[in-house]
Amino acid sequence: VTVLGRDAMLAPLQDALRDAKADEAELWVHRRRSAISRYAKNEIHQNAVADETLVQARTVVGSAVGIANANSLDPADLRRLVADACAAARESAPNADWPGLAEPAPASEPNAYDAETARADAASQADAIKRITAAVKVRGFRAAGTHQIELTEDALANTKGASAYAPSTLAYLRALVTSDTGTGWAEDLGWSTRSLDPSDVAARAIEKAALDRDRTQLPPGDYEAVFEELAVAEVLRFMSLTGLSGQTLKDGRSFMAGRFGEQVTGPRFSLWDDALDARTLAVPFDVEGTPKQRVALVEGGVAKGVVHDRQSARWFDTRSTGHAADPRRYSVGGHAGNLTMAAATRSANSSSVRRDAACSSRASITRTHRTPSARR
Amino acid sequence: VPERDAQLADLVDLGARRGAAYADARRVEREFEAVSVRDGEVESVTRSSDRGIGFRVIHRGAWGFAATDRRGETSLRTVVDEAFARAEAAASTRTAPVALAAVAPQRGEYRTTLERDPFAVPVPERIALLRAADANLKGPHAVSRRGSVAAYRTRKHLVTSEGTDVQQEIVESGAGVSVTAVKAGAKPAQRYDGRLTRQAGWEFIEYLDLARRAARYRDDVEAMLDAPLAAERPTTLVFTPEFLALLVHESCGHPTEADRVLEYEVAFAGTTFMWPKDRGTLRYGSEHVSMTADATVPGGMGTFGWDDDGVPAMRTKLIDRGTFVGYLTSRETAAALGVPVAIGSARAEGWQHFPIVRMVNVSLDPGAQSYDALLQGVDDGLLLEAPASYSLDDKRQNFHFSTQSARVIRRGVLEGYARGVSFQSLTPAFWGRCDGVADDWELHGFLSCAKGEPLQLMRVGHGAAHARFRDVPIEVRA
Repeated sequence: VTVLGRDAMLAPLQDALRDAKADEAELWVHRRRSAISRYAKNEIHQNAVADETLVQARTVVGSAVGIANANSLDPADLRRLVADACAAARESAPNADWPGLAEPAPASEPNAYDAETARADAASQADAIKRITAAVKVRGFRAAGTHQIELTEDALANTKGASAYAPSTLAYLRALVTSDTGTGWAEDLGWSTRSLDPSDVAARAIEKAALDRDRTQLPPGDYEAVFEELAVAEVLRFMSLTGLSGQTLKDGRSFMAGRFGEQVTGPRFSLWDDALDARTLAVPFDVEGTPKQRVALVEGGVAKGVVHDRQSARWFDTRSTGHAADPRRYSVGGHAGNLTMAAATRSANSSSVRRDAACSSRASITRTHRTPSARR
Repeated sequence: VPERDAQLADLVDLGARRGAAYADARRVEREFEAVSVRDGEVESVTRSSDRGIGFRVIHRGAWGFAATDRRGETSLRTVVDEAFARAEAAASTRTAPVALAAVAPQRGEYRTTLERDPFAVPVPERIALLRAADANLKGPHAVSRRGSVAAYRTRKHLVTSEGTDVQQEIVESGAGVSVTAVKAGAKPAQRYDGRLTRQAGWEFIEYLDLARRAARYRDDVEAMLDAPLAAERPTTLVFTPEFLALLVHESCGHPTEADRVLEYEVAFAGTTFMWPKDRGTLRYGSEHVSMTADATVPGGMGTFGWDDDGVPAMRTKLIDRGTFVGYLTSRETAAALGVPVAIGSARAEGWQHFPIVRMVNVSLDPGAQSYDALLQGVDDGLLLEAPASYSLDDKRQNFHFSTQSARVIRRGVLEGYARGVSFQSLTPAFWGRCDGVADDWELHGFLSCAKGEPLQLMRVGHGAAHARFRDVPIEVRA
């Protein structure tokens, strides 16, 4: 496993930018090593590792922007990439609201990298899976799931002198346990393999599978419902896409549009985005090189704000919150990808439903179908 | 087509010398260009490319896969070491070895037939086409207008330890237009189409006639703003080929993927309700419903010379006059199910991905009557033109779809619009209500069928004709 490091990542970018025939230019690199072991019926059926690189050049000619992507850090390839982005900029129309590239700014130190996790090998991933399947077999159940280890390095440099680099790691373990009557799901996710506990994942999934019996068909209707954490996370993910960015605010699609300072949800709901929280997975700067900031979105049910990249900050005459996101996946305007919802206690929520159950039906939703895990 | 690649043969030879029961090496180079226009102005001109090698072995009865975009001897030796290490780790969990259904070694080249290379079309020409479409999207209540054209090129070279050595160059072209209209007191209306893609050159973009399509979308959204709510009751529904393409994808394509049967996707994409014991007996739909998987359809987004197992393009029946008869398979899943290779469906999004079972072109077979004759058979019903939001269960047995635009049918004639229409059904119950398929079959292409971990976005094709369904319960929401 090779970690290139700050100098090896940034030096070729800065060299390539010296030759840029543009008013402004920026290079962002996302280098990733992803090792995934997938298992089903207690056996690994797919075991893959891939080393890949994404390099994005963004150049500005006048106020017209061009973007080009490739996957090589070779100096000649980088120069060609910058030239391609310049050609694209010359073919694009001027952006009257162009905010300019990011100025140099210090970002927090990376806090989501673990060298031991970066070195995890295929045998260690198989061992974790075998601990799950051994526990499952004892109950006569079967297990399926995924064990993923990622090592990433992000680096950015631009012609205004901004530069940033951060390595990070990710460790993820999932089990779906199937009994004769139902299924149970559990997962662990963190930036270190130390945050994965295969025995506990197995125990939680087995417990849920054992409880999943005597299913009945619920008729359509209104129910009191408890959403477990993964189900809540899925709802928050869609909330992020549809209402927490500067673009959704500009379009008038955000549930907070025109309502800042007003009560927009129940008073127990508070939500914020904080990539610097040690419990989350993040690099401390965004893909424009802006340091990430904590942003209060909803406090006590009151609309407080949305996240911004440099473009949406320009639209709203404010500053970027460091939420520019990979443009291959997200539109301009920022993306809130490190959400935290304020918690009461789990038992308090359940008690509330039990109280309400006297006058209404109730249901517990453990997760929605095909719930992706939290990712950067 | 790129030159023969001795490096791939060396990798495979090395794999065989180290004791692999099977090895393959796949080099993939991809290019992409897109131009988009928003509200009449150029929003972006984007170019991207990548290239790399994926190496796969069966060693000690298990798969191992490693991929890299780094060049040089050291990187390639590392890829071999890592593939073997992953196979050995997987083998430590297995009770039975991976087996591959037999396929004769393949040699040859495949390339998309093009009239005009979409990458060679000057950007100003692409922009002019999009601006012409944008002009037609303008309506009294349009608040957001977008249009885009894109070109894709994939070069692949596959070499296997069984003697297969095949090269392919696939070029695809796509376009889309969308418009959103807003009016005080009315629910916003939106028309869009993200499935206008084909394995073809710029001639397909011209065939689409984006300007005419844009005018139709503009008229649709303006009409939908003022349309009355539909009546909530069982009714006759006629679906456009565009709508049915998605229904076929979700309710037939996915549940016939053999890896779902083997539970390989149970913890992510899901399983199926179409099990091996059901083949030949499960009543999937009415006698009017036949569906075919076909990797040979000219222009299909799921068309190729060989899949990533090296299986040549084939066609096979999945649904025959309403009865479930076949699966989409890879060599591994065909062997596991004990069936011969009737269709090669092992495909990887890129060099960095392990090939898994994916749809090719999965289509509803055409009927014999004209679309007009189909409409004449509707006294009171709705034409659903394009899907909006939708959801499905993990077995693809139960689904819910809403629509962007619904037209009212009275005595065989289209009369105005209705809004708020959605429907929910079990898959066999829905297709069982089909009482006619027209002969106006057309091909649609999807760019991003999502499946697998890491997530792989796959191009797939779907053909369909207008079709009619009786007594479908619909839901109506304001």
